[in-house]
Amino acid sequence: MPNAGTLTINKLNKHYRVKDKDLHILDNVSLSIRPGEFVSIVGSSGCGKSTLLRLIIGLEADYQGDILLDGKPISGTSLDRGIVFQEHRLFPWLTVEQNVGLALENSTLPADEKQRSIQEHIELVGLRGFEKAYPHQLSGGMSQRVAIARGLVNRPEILLLDEPFGALDAMTKYKLQNELQHIWETEGITMILVTHDVEEAIYLGDRVVIMEPRPGRIKRILPVDLPRPRNRLDLDFVRLKEEILSEFGIDQQAEEEELAT
Amino acid sequence: MASLKDKLPAIDPRGFVLPLLLIVVWQAVTSSGWVDTRIIMPPSAVLSAGWKWLNSGLALESIGASLFRDASGFVLGAAAGITIGLLFGTSKLANNVFGPTFHTLKHISIFAWIPLLSAFFGRDDLAKIVFIAFATLYPVALATIEGVRSIAKSQYEVADVYGFTPRQALFRLILPAASPQIITGLHLGLIFAWLATMGAEFLLASTGEGLGMTVIRGRAAFRVDLIIFGMLIIGAFGMLLNELATRAESRLLHWRGHAR
Amino acid sequence: MSTIQSLDKPLVIEPLASLLPRISIPSLGNLPARFGRIGLGIIFPLLLLYLWQIATERVWLPPQLLPEPAFVWETLVDMVSSGELAGHLAVSLQRVLWSVLIGGSIGLAIGFAMGLSKTAKAYLYPSFSLFSQFPVIAWSPLMIIFFGIDEALKISTITVAVIVPFAVATYKGIENVPVKLREVGQIYQFSFAQTLWRIALPAALPAILGGVRQGAMQAWLALVFVELLASSEGLGYLLVYARNLMQLDVVMVCMATIGLVGLIFDFALGFIERHFSRWAPKGR
Repeated sequence: MPNAGTLTINKLNKHYRVKDKDLHILDNVSLSIRPGEFVSIVGSSGCGKSTLLRLIIGLEADYQGDILLDGKPISGTSLDRGIVFQEHRLFPWLTVEQNVGLALENSTLPADEKQRSIQEHIELVGLRGFEKAYPHQLSGGMSQRVAIARGLVNRPEILLLDEPFGALDAMTKYKLQNELQHIWETEGITMILVTHDVEEAIYLGDRVVIMEPRPGRIKRILPVDLPRPRNRLDLDFVRLKEEILSEFGIDQQAEEEELAT
Repeated sequence: MASLKDKLPAIDPRGFVLPLLLIVVWQAVTSSGWVDTRIIMPPSAVLSAGWKWLNSGLALESIGASLFRDASGFVLGAAAGITIGLLFGTSKLANNVFGPTFHTLKHISIFAWIPLLSAFFGRDDLAKIVFIAFATLYPVALATIEGVRSIAKSQYEVADVYGFTPRQALFRLILPAASPQIITGLHLGLIFAWLATMGAEFLLASTGEGLGMTVIRGRAAFRVDLIIFGMLIIGAFGMLLNELATRAESRLLHWRGHAR
Repeated sequence: MSTIQSLDKPLVIEPLASLLPRISIPSLGNLPARFGRIGLGIIFPLLLLYLWQIATERVWLPPQLLPEPAFVWETLVDMVSSGELAGHLAVSLQRVLWSVLIGGSIGLAIGFAMGLSKTAKAYLYPSFSLFSQFPVIAWSPLMIIFFGIDEALKISTITVAVIVPFAVATYKGIENVPVKLREVGQIYQFSFAQTLWRIALPAALPAILGGVRQGAMQAWLALVFVELLASSEGLGYLLVYARNLMQLDVVMVCMATIGLVGLIFDFALGFIERHFSRWAPKGR
């Protein structure tokens, strides 16, 4: 069911005013994303990658430049665009089922279809049997699965992921990365992942966008021409990782020097 | 150094709309002759009656007497409250033996004690001060218990390691560590003490002088101007005490840093 | 130090725990220890009772000041069986109920207005904060002038006492709804009504229920005061009447009743509060 959108960002600039000081957050960011593409954005903290996502989702306004979804400028939030935050942001007083259902609150689907879609997506993220559980009864990984289900349930054209696995332990993280990739392949929607984990960016992305801070701008865009599912120990994978890390000034030489001392 | 402008809170003029509206309506209603001005007095009459009262010397006597009762009751009640709080907080035995009684009695609404206290202590200052002390005691004691209980076990272990005597533990560890809650409790106690002062003066108004008596006798004499002015003074002192306590609290607790 | 605060378990109805609402709840693991503790807690009241008995037997105080325990008990039984106590109690409770309904609605409205609208807050907050610092009972003389000493006086005074805790709790509760959750509503295109019903209200509910408890306590406090001040029926009236006749046995029965009602309020409303915030097991 291809239900994916083309996102075009053109010469995007964003400023904040903090106590009479002008902060330049995003500087001339231009990026074009194909329908069904998976784009990873990596960068150190303060490079404006989260602000970029907040602009695309429509939680921030006051920018210069264009953000177009299927040729139309975005304005405010829309059910076409979904997001998963680093913190799950589940409503603690609602069950898993009700939390996922929140996303369908304003959908035009008939009630029985809503219910079916909720059930399908809970199963998709592997939480069958937990429909009636409350968030405080779930682990961090399970909560994030619910958040992913909520992000997907209304079938957005584009799903934004703001460091969704940043707060999880390594094992859970690997597992969820695989599941996310599987979901992306089956649902065929456009996904934009913001992360500071280079390995995660390569593992999931068709392209990796490298951003640098002060002001936040795109430094380089690298295609990942590796067959999926990718092997993190594969030579090409490691080489690509080294190349990206070197963009951040972390290179093999430095590491060797560190080892020598 | 922050400039003065930064320190002063920005005043939003919209906040003055409601009080001004009230005064305007009040004045309009009273000067229009729609109402009996013996019952609803114009603001100007309240001010002039208040001014007369303030200049009569009676005001000073009343305010002084009320503040004296308030302060005596508060000091006694606070001292007793901290003592009880420390006892309950540090001794499990004391807490188990006296705690249930203490916590059950607190459910008796404080004013219900006044008839009994007046039977024992009469209607003069003694009964009032005992009552004010009693009203102060509970918030202070409860806050102190909470403060002592919140001290981490690891902090007690530090005291153990350095071989603190019980006296050292009290003054070096327990009191300073529990001081934020104790000070908050004292602040609450101050508010309760003023409420109790007014309550005692209203209910035991037959003898002595005081702000509460002035107001309640003003009612008997149908002096609405004096009642309203008295209320304003009572409210003003309540706010003043609260403001002083807030300042003292933030000064005393400055070591906790800005992130409260 | 075995007073472990139970975090995950909902509070179990245990008589002792209910008496210590602000204190950490004792762990329920050790049954004999628990009964031991209850036993310890009974020693002191029994001792007081014994002392009281001795004091009256040896007439340390005149009997008007300290009636015999048995006599107070008889008075209690008399007043209960004759329905006298119930009658006054019903009058008092009715006053509290009306005031909580009226004052609660006003307080909720003010709290919601200030919490939801920055404009409303700008107009209301300064006046409200001034009003809230006024000792409630200071209003009563003015109320007597306006409303006389009838039902309207009691209900208006108690209502004033109820407004502040309701409004403060509601306002704080609404204002503290996390921005992160409000953004989720924004993303799913929630209307104002949806934001109110699906986010603001449930998130603020524990705080609002805390305000209800506070409000009921304040109402009970103000009720006793205003009935002591001017009344012809109700528990406070009975208290003053008995005091003036130096019937301290009746005074004690009234005080016990007032305490019992306060305790039931605290316990019942605390229970409701915990029931509705059970989704937030930590940091009530």
